[in-house]
Amino acid sequence: MLSVLIFGPLLAGLAVFLLRDGRQAKTLALVLAALMVVWTGVVLRRFDVMATGMQLTELVPWLPNLGLNYDLGCDGLSVSLLALNSLITWIVVYSTPATVARPRLYYGLVLWVSGGLAGAFAAQNALLFVLFYELELIPVYFLIAIWGGARKQYAALKFLLYTAVSGILLLGGILALGWLSGQADFAYEHIRATVAGLPVAVQGTLLLTLLLGFGIKTPLVPLHTWLPDAYVEASPPIAILLGGILAKLGTYGLVRFGVQLFPELWQQWSLGLALWGTAGVLFGALAAIAQKDIKRMVAYSSIGHMGYVMLGCATATPLSLVGAISQMVSHGVILAILFHLVGVIEAKVGTRELDVLNGLMNPLRGLPTVSALLVLGGMASAGIPGMMGFVAEFLVFQGSYQVFPLFTLLCVLGTGLTAVYFVILLNRTCFGKLDNRTAYYPPVWAAEKIPALVLAGLILFLGIQPRWLVQWSEQTAQNLALTTVAVAPPISELLPK
Amino acid sequence: MMSWFLESVWLVPLYPLVGMVAAAFWYPGIIRRTGPRPAGYINALMTFVSLVHAALALVATGGRESLSYSLPWLQVAGLDLSLPLVVSPLSLTAMVVIFGVNFLAQVYAFGYMEMDWGWARFFSLLAFFEAGMAALVLCDSLFFSYVILELLTLGTYLLVGFWFNQPLVVTGARDAFLTKRVGDLLLLMGVLAIWPLSHTWNFTELAQWAAQPQTVAYAQAHPQVLFWLGLALLAGPLGKCAQFPFHLWLDEAMEGPIPATILRNAVVVLTGSWVLVKLTPILALSPGVMGVTVGVGAATAVGAALIAIAQICVKRTLSYPVSAYLGLLFVAVGTGHPQTALLLMLTYAVAMGLPVMGAGNVIWNSITQDVRRLGGLAARRPVTLLCWLVGIAGVVAVPPLGGFWSWLQLVTDLAEQSPGLVAVVLLVNGLLTFGLVRVVCLLFGNRPQPMSQRSPELHWPFILPMTVLAGVVLHMPHLLAVTGLLPAWQQDWGVLLSLSTLSGASLAALVYLSPGIPKPVRLPVTSLQDLLAYDLYTPKIYRMTVVGLVDVVSRITDVLDRYLVDGLVNLVGVATVFGGETLKYSTSGKFQWYLLTILVGMALVVGLAVVTVGQS
Repeated sequence: MLSVLIFGPLLAGLAVFLLRDGRQAKTLALVLAALMVVWTGVVLRRFDVMATGMQLTELVPWLPNLGLNYDLGCDGLSVSLLALNSLITWIVVYSTPATVARPRLYYGLVLWVSGGLAGAFAAQNALLFVLFYELELIPVYFLIAIWGGARKQYAALKFLLYTAVSGILLLGGILALGWLSGQADFAYEHIRATVAGLPVAVQGTLLLTLLLGFGIKTPLVPLHTWLPDAYVEASPPIAILLGGILAKLGTYGLVRFGVQLFPELWQQWSLGLALWGTAGVLFGALAAIAQKDIKRMVAYSSIGHMGYVMLGCATATPLSLVGAISQMVSHGVILAILFHLVGVIEAKVGTRELDVLNGLMNPLRGLPTVSALLVLGGMASAGIPGMMGFVAEFLVFQGSYQVFPLFTLLCVLGTGLTAVYFVILLNRTCFGKLDNRTAYYPPVWAAEKIPALVLAGLILFLGIQPRWLVQWSEQTAQNLALTTVAVAPPISELLPK
Repeated sequence: MMSWFLESVWLVPLYPLVGMVAAAFWYPGIIRRTGPRPAGYINALMTFVSLVHAALALVATGGRESLSYSLPWLQVAGLDLSLPLVVSPLSLTAMVVIFGVNFLAQVYAFGYMEMDWGWARFFSLLAFFEAGMAALVLCDSLFFSYVILELLTLGTYLLVGFWFNQPLVVTGARDAFLTKRVGDLLLLMGVLAIWPLSHTWNFTELAQWAAQPQTVAYAQAHPQVLFWLGLALLAGPLGKCAQFPFHLWLDEAMEGPIPATILRNAVVVLTGSWVLVKLTPILALSPGVMGVTVGVGAATAVGAALIAIAQICVKRTLSYPVSAYLGLLFVAVGTGHPQTALLLMLTYAVAMGLPVMGAGNVIWNSITQDVRRLGGLAARRPVTLLCWLVGIAGVVAVPPLGGFWSWLQLVTDLAEQSPGLVAVVLLVNGLLTFGLVRVVCLLFGNRPQPMSQRSPELHWPFILPMTVLAGVVLHMPHLLAVTGLLPAWQQDWGVLLSLSTLSGASLAALVYLSPGIPKPVRLPVTSLQDLLAYDLYTPKIYRMTVVGLVDVVSRITDVLDRYLVDGLVNLVGVATVFGGETLKYSTSGKFQWYLLTILVGMALVVGLAVVTVGQS
């Protein structure tokens, strides 16, 4: 089952790469990506939301001496992100302009990244995870460096160096974890049993190493500076790939390696981790307010939204973990629609500058549908109810409030600041008077609207019927949860005695 | 048959949504063939269907117990979020008012928006509001009330921003959205904070919880907890009802289309006070919160009534009275009279639409909105004048109309508790009357001015809704009597209230109609007039406090991010490159140089070894 999601895209990438005619590359990639979406549907159908533990497991011994086995399986966390991965890949392929340079290489690399990501999400062996984690690095480097914007070399190199450091930290940490147990076995279950027996100082060092590794990928402030450059310089579809799904490797790791493997220590550190997440929320939102480039603004919003995930993970109540996992998915979808629309605006209007853009809501000469969808995307990101972003954020807040009241309230403040910069963005971009002298924009074709319409439909559907968003991860969250209790009248702790 | 209407009343909020979705077809495509109007007609039809359904359900209740339903929405990890609905005569009455006013506003919009292409967008937003408000009055949950208020905030943003070409509209939409969002998020904080205490968001259960002896004991032991909690919950209604210090948005929202203003000024602002009334048992746990409620309400009532008198834009003269009137609702709730607040809401919602409609009539075919440049319309527009006057009489205390009875009830309630507040209410009544009559005098009295020379009465889409609504306002006392809501007559207070209205009205007529006082009328103290005309300089205060703070902090964050965090990263990069560049010259090809480095290296190693051995 799961192998298809890994090797399907890898083989599809190869097939696209070997095509004779570059013009057919998009069609083939699109069909194959759509097949992956369908297969994900099959996986979701087979996935039993009530079952605890790993499902759809596959185990092929590979290098048993090294402790490296081809060991796959998925729980609610994995399956949510696998589904997101297939969807985002399809969106990325669809939203790439047909005129993209070197199409065979491009679509091939995109599909390989998708396959690598699926492998990382499905792996049940830490070494296998690292393998897949490193596998997507080089294709993404090329995707930024070849098809990027003006400062693409700088951004791609920065991304490469950061991610390489993150990969080395992870590899070091995971090798140490595996070998400290005395026998080479990197299966998650095995590592978890090992960790409990380690001295606290060793555990601490290892957790810190992994946290830094995943913190770079997520990214968490102050390890984030690769992100604005990479997201802004990458072409819009690649930015969707980066922000929508690639960065989720970091948050996935926080749950899988942090919460799952280091439960005791995680709980001890939870205060600091919650503070870290909250700082990210406020930092991302405040930095976004000051941006003048809409793509950069959306990039910073992404940093802020990762803070909610961190808060939910730090609290680790069942509810907050469901919220955190849902937030990963909803952020992926919302970021995808925002980057797609920003890309369309840049392609049609020719600028991303807030001070230049104006009046795109104009029904005749502006981009009315794009503007309407941008309003929807921005409001979803700002956590307006009725859309999936609200469900995820609310579950994080409700799950975290009883443990960390102050941080939760500060994160609520963060959603207010999110509204501030999205209103700035919408007011400058969509509202206002269109400049008649410059407003000769090419029409937006239906094909350019379809990805956004699909995503908008999903955002609304999962916002109104959130059961479909949260049901996958509920059991997993119950299993992973470290705290279940709700304690004490919390506001009293905030007040001066 | 009739009971079917009652049992299926949960369908009512869905009708407008059907209209809203249907209007989407007219967005860009079909307009070329049919024009934009059918989108409006569909929505008006759906509103009418909702109105009929709600009215029949109201007839069918006839003294029955209220029905409650619970619709499952989300159960996850021990959290049960079901949507509780309660169908009571109260909620049905509110729905009839909502749909009634909205239907009239939509018919009015047929005329007012005649030349606008954006009918589909406009009517679907109105439908969104209707659906939201109908759902709000049905829902019995604090959480879902928050959800709906937040959605209506988004609706306000889009509806105020309807004519997004104009800069004032854009800032108005922005300010409306952000101000209300601040209130909503504080409310969300309260929603989160009350859960660990009450473990329910159901209003009925919350009221029971608040009445429990343990809760009261807890509230007495931890007054600060309940105080902050109450303030957070209060912030939502404060924002929605445009109370100090969240009042500026309502003024700026006047840049939106008038038909939307009718709905907003008459009904939408009441969503906040509706939630406030529902929250009364919780707010009452903290005397401090009740004090704040009364204080803010009274301050807004007096302040906004004064500000209204200094406005020169005809729309703005009608926006501040809204804040002022709603301030009285806060006073009523803060003194523990939610029933009186509901009565005030009812009489207000029916009557307040009329002056706004009248103002729309005048604006539509006069060139200006400046009250100083208009005048002498009485002979030309008698119907508008008459309806406008009926509206004013319905809002302020003019016996025997509906407003009078709710004012009387308020005064009677307050008389036992605090005579000071009675004085405030009487003052506000006088000031409101003065302000509202002032506008009528300026517009309809005196001689015609150049701007109002050619300003005839308008056609039926304007006049019909106005006259119908005026008829309803005139029948309000009868309706109150039939439903048993009419308060008891109190001679002393009744006379005093009438006197305050009379003095306000006659003073306004004296000042603004007498030829002896030069127009435009100026106060002897210019700074005071400016203070009121510029809305107590609230925009400046916002800019110096909240807005300035966010602006400065975000800039600092950006600088930190750019130069400190990223600067460090780039410094490492530059240092690496620089180091490599420097070291590459060590590869010189000279044999002696290599030998020297080898020797130095060996010496260091040997030295280190000697030192280490020596130590051990």
